[in-house]
Amino acid sequence: MRLAELQRRMAGAILSGDDDAMPPLAPGPIPAAAAIDVHRGTVMGALVNALRLTFPTVDELVGQAFFDQMAAAFVAVQPPRLARLSAYGALFPDFIEAYPLAATLPYLADVARLDLAVSVALAMPDAGPRRHVTLDAAVSLALPISLNVLSLGHAADLIRAGLEADDDQALAQIDLSPQTRLVAVWRTGRHAAVLALSPPAGLFLAAILKGADADTALAAAFSVAAPPAALQAIHAEVFAAAFAQITQTHLEIETR
Amino acid sequence: MHATGLSLGSADGLDDEHLADIAELCRRIEPGLVSDHLSWSAAGGLHLPDLLPLPYSEEALAVVARNVDQVQTALGRQILIENPSIYLAFADSDLSEAGFLGELVRVSGCGVLLDINNVVVTAGNLGEAPADRLAALLDHVPAAAIGEIHLAGHAIRLLDDGTPLRIDDHGSPVGPETWSLFETVIRRLGPRPTLIEWDTDIPAFDVLHAEAATAQSILDQAAWEPTHATG
Repeated sequence: MRLAELQRRMAGAILSGDDDAMPPLAPGPIPAAAAIDVHRGTVMGALVNALRLTFPTVDELVGQAFFDQMAAAFVAVQPPRLARLSAYGALFPDFIEAYPLAATLPYLADVARLDLAVSVALAMPDAGPRRHVTLDAAVSLALPISLNVLSLGHAADLIRAGLEADDDQALAQIDLSPQTRLVAVWRTGRHAAVLALSPPAGLFLAAILKGADADTALAAAFSVAAPPAALQAIHAEVFAAAFAQITQTHLEIETR
Repeated sequence: MHATGLSLGSADGLDDEHLADIAELCRRIEPGLVSDHLSWSAAGGLHLPDLLPLPYSEEALAVVARNVDQVQTALGRQILIENPSIYLAFADSDLSEAGFLGELVRVSGCGVLLDINNVVVTAGNLGEAPADRLAALLDHVPAAAIGEIHLAGHAIRLLDDGTPLRIDDHGSPVGPETWSLFETVIRRLGPRPTLIEWDTDIPAFDVLHAEAATAQSILDQAAWEPTHATG
């Protein structure tokens, strides 16, 4: 048997649980099933733990046993296709959204999306070059390259904050009903910052990060708030935010 | 710098992006030694986080030699290849592990990272005497090519029929047989950079320190008795 076929068959047997799919083995003191099970245990354990490291808030919410079961179900349909183990799980939030056993936790997929964004931010460089965004001739912003804006369908940021603070009272008061939450995530040293933004500030920043010009970004903000209120929110939550540096200080944005 | 995911035995070749990441890390930290395993983890576009065994065949030797050459070219340096812990053997193997590693050293110019715990685990699982398996490795691999040694403990699970299955879990003290083989190796080769791997169920620092001190005493003894082979 050619090596490529042997390796495909063994990889398939490990992931599928079908020992009969293994290539021919030499006889030995260890039964084939026990030997294959060592590799299967190593692979599944490493993948489930990789997901647990990327999605700690999901793990804390549902508990280890449920997480392990859900993660194993994910591995079965989305085995890793990248060599970098820390990058595994990009599709886990969408899987959770459709996972029948998690249907009673409709916010869980958004919690996973926030966990993933935090993990992605933490994998980005902290210091070093920033993303420079020229808004117009007078204003330019320097933003961390780890900065991202998420649009969530539930208050996943409040759930994460409540669990991190171990604040049962705050957790009990969270509105778990569907709602749009715009959340900025960026890396600060060894941690990731998570900050809820108002709709105009969030839409403005999201548009800027996608490469929109200032007029387009402002139009997005003005679509959800009157211009004076939108501008006030942008000033307070973007220009004065901890993550932003204004590199030209003649700040004038016309209301259009 | 000890890699686990280059998948040097993959018939499909190496992941160029991952190799570039490893090369960049190597440039940044300038490690004294760079190593990975005689194993594979990627096939058919899937990546399994494990050190999966190879059949020791001429085709596999050509594949590993090609991949090792690609890594050494990308890194601009020699790498060391570690003998893995093995739980099963393929019917298609027609070389010994020792013969495979020795030939790999000859054709690729790589070195060897000799994991003595893996020798004990593999020998136990394949029904061989650890001392014989180690002797074969030392006979086939030039002494000068062995650039580093790993030590570790392993778990033993008794199967239903009482057969011991040895599992390389790095979660216990180095076993007496491994220490004994380490002394044999050091007496024959002389001191080598030695690492004790204990990364699950990590004990108190004084336990780890005592393990390191035991290894150091064996290395120190060899340093005072330079009767080892040099070639």
